[in-house]
Amino acid sequence: MRAAILTDVTKCIGCRECVRACKQANRLGPELPHRWNLEDGLSARSWTSVVEGPRQSFVRKQCRHCLQPACVSACPVAALRRTDSGAVIYERERCMGCRYCMMACPFGVPRYEWDQPVPYVRKCTLCFERLRAGQRPACTEACPTKATVFGDRERLLEEAHRRIHERPELYWPKVWGEEEIGGTSVLYIAPADLTALLTGRPLEEAPLPERTRAAMQAVPFAFTGVVAVMAGLRWVIERRMKRQAEEGDEQGA
Amino acid sequence: MSRVHKLKLALWAVSGLAAAVAAARFLFGLGATTNLSDAVPWGFWIGFDVMGGVALAAGGFVMTAAVYIFRLERFHSIVRSAVLTAFLGYLAVVAGLLFDLGLPWNIWHMVVFWNPRSPLFEVGWCVMLYLTVLALEFFPVPAERFGRLAAVRRALLKARIPLVIAGIGLSTLHQSSLGSLFLIMPYRLHPLWYTPWLPVLFLVSAIGLGLMMAVFESHLTGWLYRRRPETEMLAGLGSAARWVLLLYVALRGADLAARGQLAWLARPGWRTAMFWTELGLMALLPAALLFIPPVRRSRAGQWTAAGLGVLGTVLNRINVGGLAHLGQGGQFYVPAWTELAASAGVVSAAALAFLFMVERFRVWEERPADPEADPLKLPELAPVGATWLGPPAVAGRTLYSLSFVLAAAFGLALLEPVPASGRGVEPVAVRRARGGEVLWVDGNRDGDGTAFPHEAHQQREGGKASCPLCHHMNLPQDRHSGCFECHRDMYLASDAFGHDWHASPQGGRVACWRCHAEGQPRRAATARRCAECHKDLRPPGAVIAVRQYRAPGYVEALHDLCVGCHVRRAQRLNKPDLGRCTACHRERRQWPEQLAAGRSEGGPAGKRLVLPARSAP
Repeated sequence: MRAAILTDVTKCIGCRECVRACKQANRLGPELPHRWNLEDGLSARSWTSVVEGPRQSFVRKQCRHCLQPACVSACPVAALRRTDSGAVIYERERCMGCRYCMMACPFGVPRYEWDQPVPYVRKCTLCFERLRAGQRPACTEACPTKATVFGDRERLLEEAHRRIHERPELYWPKVWGEEEIGGTSVLYIAPADLTALLTGRPLEEAPLPERTRAAMQAVPFAFTGVVAVMAGLRWVIERRMKRQAEEGDEQGA
Repeated sequence: MSRVHKLKLALWAVSGLAAAVAAARFLFGLGATTNLSDAVPWGFWIGFDVMGGVALAAGGFVMTAAVYIFRLERFHSIVRSAVLTAFLGYLAVVAGLLFDLGLPWNIWHMVVFWNPRSPLFEVGWCVMLYLTVLALEFFPVPAERFGRLAAVRRALLKARIPLVIAGIGLSTLHQSSLGSLFLIMPYRLHPLWYTPWLPVLFLVSAIGLGLMMAVFESHLTGWLYRRRPETEMLAGLGSAARWVLLLYVALRGADLAARGQLAWLARPGWRTAMFWTELGLMALLPAALLFIPPVRRSRAGQWTAAGLGVLGTVLNRINVGGLAHLGQGGQFYVPAWTELAASAGVVSAAALAFLFMVERFRVWEERPADPEADPLKLPELAPVGATWLGPPAVAGRTLYSLSFVLAAAFGLALLEPVPASGRGVEPVAVRRARGGEVLWVDGNRDGDGTAFPHEAHQQREGGKASCPLCHHMNLPQDRHSGCFECHRDMYLASDAFGHDWHASPQGGRVACWRCHAEGQPRRAATARRCAECHKDLRPPGAVIAVRQYRAPGYVEALHDLCVGCHVRRAQRLNKPDLGRCTACHRERRQWPEQLAAGRSEGGPAGKRLVLPARSAP
């Protein structure tokens, strides 16, 4: 099964039970009004948040658990990885704190413990531990209106399309997370266009790790090529110089 | 004092300032010493120290290539100092990185935990290896002074060509891979800078900067030690640099054209201005200057061209590394003074190490003489009394140490007092919570925020005239009054028993003896319990015992007295709405924006927003 979450924005009443459940399940503690917090409410101590969306709706923000995550490909010490279930998780024992994942994430999800002398990256783990124990993510369990539900990604996509098809007057005809940057495990359907809210600008379908792959694949060839060319040049120039010196000697003699 | 001594004094002072900042950085964390935020996770330390530093140290591989591969013997006199600059430059890069890394003691993790897909992994490995190569390349110079190291020196000199070639290969890789770092963030980087050719652009500009840096450094040290720079030889470097810079400009233009982004060049805005400044400084102006032969051969011309090139390329790295991303998340970033001080300190320490090496070992053909250590120098006489009083008591190393210590003390004094918690909490940071009228405030100064309907309060209290009610500006250090200043009852438990009301006609004229027994003092403690008359006061199975005649304050009600228990019960009964205030208090006043949002339907359980029908997109 590919774990996924479908958030139906039309059903959300903005009660923030998911936020509370998340804090409780992950033992995150209360939010503090820090300088570095952003307006979207996500922080090292809030892995999910509810923001006001277009047309007086409420939109829950969390890690999108990309199918081809930019953060995983960016991390130089492989502290971030995508599990078999689809959850993108962070192993803090490996982290060295470069924050490249925060730069790479197109959704700006990973947050940092800026207040700690020993800081870690914090983000939603899709309740990876709970999934292993056969439970659902805490947020989906807490939702009183079933606005955010957990399930298999294919099934949830079907369900999303069915809802859009049945109530075309209510839904915007798009499932966010279905295709952009290779697809995400957290899907949204909404009564209005969420693109501006979720990412600022439309994302292309090509997964982000693809963009560095060509450059990274060229690395061994570039190294071998440069070394070979330099060694060759040195040899040619050296030989020519030696020959010139000999000629000079002969002329002198 | 000579120029060198004045400069060293300043460098030691800056290092001292940075030492104070370093202490704060590693004790209190990044939040307390930088202006970085979740929107701007990379700042000045990455942009200048790491990206700029690696570019500035490009002179090493460019000059070794020129001398040992292309056998341009006339540049041989500056190759040692170029390698030394590169070595110290990379050490400074690593030092700057240690400041920036959240967990710097884990930097070795890159050796053990591999992710070959990450450009940063590749940069890290290359920098590690290249630093080793540079150390091996430079080691023969200090080894000259120590006879015992002669064998090592000979072995390293024999391995020089393979080392140089490896160094060039490694530099090619990581100079370009620093550009590859940003390929994964097409939505962060502005289209003027984002291109799949970023690695190539980085490499070409690094080669250009390597040449410029060699010229710049020769002139700077020449001025410092009053040596005569070999202007004619440096003109040769300039002559090569102009073609590299021209190639860079052509690549940059062709790339913009190929991506169809040329329109950005004329679009007004600070990013376009930044682009032109950067390109002008790093390539256009220096190339133009170097194409004029008299300018290329003159000292001032070389100074100017190289200085502009260095400045522009560093600006380019800072732009790509973060400056050109700013303003997208609505958040801005200006480096804190602590960030600038730490960077300046790292550069100063590297410069001091450079001066030390130059004065101690044969980095140049001849070691620069210390102007004040001249044995033939006549003693200076004191102006008053004309007597020779010996050398000044505070001079040389003592003076440097003094400047270091004083600057460190000054830095410690400048550091903002970290709040008692040591966590950089700003108790009254106000930000908009949801939508316009609601603010997220720390109303009671307990570090815990609450959504505060600001607009509604203002309207209720009489518009703009009511601002001073909370924002009274006559109290020192006070930015607003706490919620409890008006909501006096929020912490107060109130007397639920209306004594006088019971005696009044509306209350049924209850006689005194009904509650207060004869012969006893008439006090609350001795009175009869409410429940003795009001049999139905407690609903059957009620949890809260009515022992006192007191109603709890609503802070308690919200925290644990009511809501906490209701939520637990709600979970057990699988009735999620039981935990909401509105499940019992049905007449809760709605906030204006919720009223405007649409009509709500059903009872408390089915309270969900019904949105108005939407026209087709």
